[in-house]
Amino acid sequence: MSAPAIRVEGLTRRFGRRWALRGVDLEIERGSVVALLGANGTGKTTLLRILSTLLRPTAGEASVLGLDLASDADAIRRRTALMTPTGHVYDELTGVENLRFAARMGEVTASDDDLRAALARVDLADAADLAVRGYSTGMRKRLELARLGLRAPDVVLLDEPFTSLDSTGVDLVQDAIAAWRAAGATVVIASHRTAETGRHADRTVRLARGVIDEAASAP
Amino acid sequence: MSELLRRARAILWKDLLTELRTKQGLSAMLSFAALVIFLFSFAIGPNTTLLARLAGGLIWVAIIFTGTLSLGRAFQTEELAGGVRLLRLYPGDPRAIYLGKLGANLVLLAALEAVLFPAAAVIFQVDLVAHIGPIALVAVLGTIGFSAIGTFFSALTVHAKARELLLPLLLFPALVPVVVGAVGATDAIIGGNAMGRLGGWLQLLAAYDVILFVVCVWIFPVILEE
Repeated sequence: MSAPAIRVEGLTRRFGRRWALRGVDLEIERGSVVALLGANGTGKTTLLRILSTLLRPTAGEASVLGLDLASDADAIRRRTALMTPTGHVYDELTGVENLRFAARMGEVTASDDDLRAALARVDLADAADLAVRGYSTGMRKRLELARLGLRAPDVVLLDEPFTSLDSTGVDLVQDAIAAWRAAGATVVIASHRTAETGRHADRTVRLARGVIDEAASAP
Repeated sequence: MSELLRRARAILWKDLLTELRTKQGLSAMLSFAALVIFLFSFAIGPNTTLLARLAGGLIWVAIIFTGTLSLGRAFQTEELAGGVRLLRLYPGDPRAIYLGKLGANLVLLAALEAVLFPAAAVIFQVDLVAHIGPIALVAVLGTIGFSAIGTFFSALTVHAKARELLLPLLLFPALVPVVVGAVGATDAIIGGNAMGRLGGWLQLLAAYDVILFVVCVWIFPVILEE
């Protein structure tokens, strides 16, 4: 039997005197879509940042796809993708240049046509050669979606993917989640927006003050 | 080309493209360097003998002051794009980030020096054209040492609250061997001293460059950890 997509035991993270996570236990099956809900400051972002290897936990253990966070970080990075609320795009580069940079850094072989096709899929074909500095917040989010779509990750971690998006943008994110699910990827969506997040979710996990609120979580 | 160098080249390409688009860093560096050179010449006065004697030191102080401005910006562009640690999410050796940033800093400093050395030669009335080869060698060695440690400290201080103050506080003491070697070598060239003295300064610069480069490349991944 293969290891779960994500396994977390007693995960704790402290920032100075503030506890962001206080002993979180969580197991997520491969290929499932999980909604990670909770108000602002409940530890959702911290959990995703730890699972993506951006942050080290203060205590506890975690593995992604059976790989240990501490010792197999590079292998985890090759198989996971993280969307942050602000995205990871450069203002002075155009949309297609941002994707070219991401492809080179992520060791993805993609032609110029491939990159433009990725932008067209998120309705950014007309803005492909414009500097991102002139993009709206929603356009930046769609560019971030195109960036994640360059690879075929096994685990996708989305942090507030619906924030600042209009209905078309929300639909694009929903379509992307459906495509990842169809491809067999595990998707974790952290958000405080229950309606959009729950649409594809097989399971809901609610965080409150750094711990999982079992009563409010749904299998 | 190895994966490490391919990714370093991607960062170099991205940083230089960003610089070409904004022109903020290079134009600010050139203006600041011109101001420093003019201030030195005004402070010393019209004594051309004294200016020529101090030229080596004044040129390198101008490069260090001006270059520190550029180094401070090297990782700030990453913060505007969500944070330097997001670069860490790409798989592979994180030393590619350091090598790419170092390459971009070297190109920007080379552009600065291509303007600063001729301008200083005119203002300080020293003949650098006759010694273009040795001067270029000193410039290359001095710039590599300066960029190697400067890029490292730029990454180290990027999240500090008072990073504009902290960067020179950390950087300048570590640069003492580079400054001493570069100024000594430049003075030896301008003063027409024997190759023996110049050779010693060049050896010091080259040895310190190797040490700085190896140490910075080795420990760079540690400073990306949160």
